[in-house]
Amino acid sequence: MQLESQQISAFKGWWIILCKEVKDNLRDRRTLTTMGISIIIGPLLMFGFIWFAEKTVKEETDPVNAEPVKLAVVGSDHAPNLMAWLAQNNIEVTAAPSDPEQAIKDGQIRVALIIEQTYPQAFIDGKSAPIRLMYDSSITGLEQISYQTVRNALQGYSQQIAVLRLMARGISPEVLNPVQINTSDVSTPEARNAQILTMMPYLIIMFIMAGGMYLAIDTTAGEREKGSLEPLLTQPLRRHTVLIAKLAATMLFSALTFLFVLIGFSLAFNYAPIDSITLDVGWAKVATVFIFCLPFVFVASALMVLLAAYTKSYKEAQSYLSMIMLVPSLPLVMLTVLSPEPSTSNMWIPSLSQGLIIIETFKGEPIPGLLIALSVISSIAIAILITWLAIKLYQRERILG
Amino acid sequence: MIEVSNLRKSFGKVKAVDGVSFTAQDGRITGLLGPNGAGKSTTLRVLYTAYKPDSGSAHIDKCDVTNETLKVRKSIGVLTHRAGIYERLTARENVRYFGELHGLSGKALNHRINHLASILEMDDFIDRRAKGFSQGQRTKVALARALVHNPRNVLLDEPTNGLDVMATRGLREVIKRLKDEGHCVLFSSHVMQEVAALCDEIVIIANGQVAAHGSPDQILEQSGEANLEDAFVQSIGSEEGLV
Repeated sequence: MQLESQQISAFKGWWIILCKEVKDNLRDRRTLTTMGISIIIGPLLMFGFIWFAEKTVKEETDPVNAEPVKLAVVGSDHAPNLMAWLAQNNIEVTAAPSDPEQAIKDGQIRVALIIEQTYPQAFIDGKSAPIRLMYDSSITGLEQISYQTVRNALQGYSQQIAVLRLMARGISPEVLNPVQINTSDVSTPEARNAQILTMMPYLIIMFIMAGGMYLAIDTTAGEREKGSLEPLLTQPLRRHTVLIAKLAATMLFSALTFLFVLIGFSLAFNYAPIDSITLDVGWAKVATVFIFCLPFVFVASALMVLLAAYTKSYKEAQSYLSMIMLVPSLPLVMLTVLSPEPSTSNMWIPSLSQGLIIIETFKGEPIPGLLIALSVISSIAIAILITWLAIKLYQRERILG
Repeated sequence: MIEVSNLRKSFGKVKAVDGVSFTAQDGRITGLLGPNGAGKSTTLRVLYTAYKPDSGSAHIDKCDVTNETLKVRKSIGVLTHRAGIYERLTARENVRYFGELHGLSGKALNHRINHLASILEMDDFIDRRAKGFSQGQRTKVALARALVHNPRNVLLDEPTNGLDVMATRGLREVIKRLKDEGHCVLFSSHVMQEVAALCDEIVIIANGQVAAHGSPDQILEQSGEANLEDAFVQSIGSEEGLV
């Protein structure tokens, strides 16, 4: 039987290489692990953090069930009524150490209340009775809660005494509030979650990069290092066909990882036991975000393939690519710091525009179609430019190493 | 048939190939013999279209390697210097991949792979994943991959590198068989005995130039030495003397 080589079309060659890369990488545990983890870790990172923060704050501030706030008091004998008030407000009065200031600095106690000796007389005289609250303002976070609780309780006491004194003098306590301040919050529940949402683009874009990273390295720098690239490039194919097939494989895995992260987020939004997030993320939103952010998958994959083609070894590619993962996160810093509105001046920037699409879509505030088109077109144009550079790099003889 | 005429290729100031000419006929085994760094691999790389020559020309079956790359690639089978195979694919999948890139498919391709597996004695590992293969097994897979489309011209760059005695003997049998089937076989080596044992035609290359060219007998005659090894040393030594 006489066998002969038949020239295949560029498309068929592309397809054969793509299929081989997909099969090859489906057998690679690292790629699969990255994809599997993406569906769990992304939401877990974000919601786990929020859930923990919410739970702690709730426990600390719950007036019924919270642990009583411990307050060291110097001179509690001078103000028995105040002590009773504090006890009603879930504050446990303890004996103060000899040097309360140092004890606070050392972190032994959080807050100390010093009731001056002049307090009883001033109180009886109807003057402002002096007390001093000692705390460390450099301590932030949960530690601040006990100071706030004590301060609120003291102000409440002061207010109550004021009201009683005015009533005793036959004056309406309303004089204390010459202006009645009423507020009404008109933000939608979705928009109120904006702070939480600014974290999402980071995670999503990181996973898009991570999903394609091993493929980008494996199919170029890795193949060259193992010596299988040269035989491949002597097959009857144009080099750009080979590169575009490898790029397509990278994009495919990157896009799949992206989809998994989105599904993970969507499930978490709908089922995670978090009260402060009331965001409805349905499949329509997931599909919108996925489709309009696909151009970034193209940009990220092209960038990684370009870099992997430039490097000399697997190790080098790995360290370069880990660094390049930071590049798309830089525009996202702007997103967190400035929280800009989508406009023509920022929607052409890859990663920033996709970040905005993610946030606005999840908030339920659709972005004008023209701005989305700007994001899609400019990202694709940039990706094509990077791909072109990668093709140029592939056509150099040095690619063989 | 492979025809090389006054081929030159430099990398910066280094003249890797500096005016090499020779012809490798169908049905014959031609050996490129030379010390390491003589320009054997660069010559082969130009022939299998990985490098473009600076000047001179090379034709494979009358097709120009610079302008008709796709045609040339169809008619050659190449075993590159460091022939890597895909470790997560089985030996069969490795070979089939390259077969498909040559437009082969279905029964014909499977038949061909089975045939190669039996000639190269790779039946025990043909359906195993390539991770953990010995150097000999890897070379066999790479060779099967190079031959899957039954190319008229076979280019082998140091094929016996890293092979043990048994594997080397097996490879020799395969090369002889290719010759008997009428293929044009061109292989490079720095091992004198190997070239002497196999080749009908020897091209001795040193410093990017052809130092001697002809059948083993002709080379002996030209050098006036009693054995090939001395002839080899003499032709290379005189070259170094010129430089």
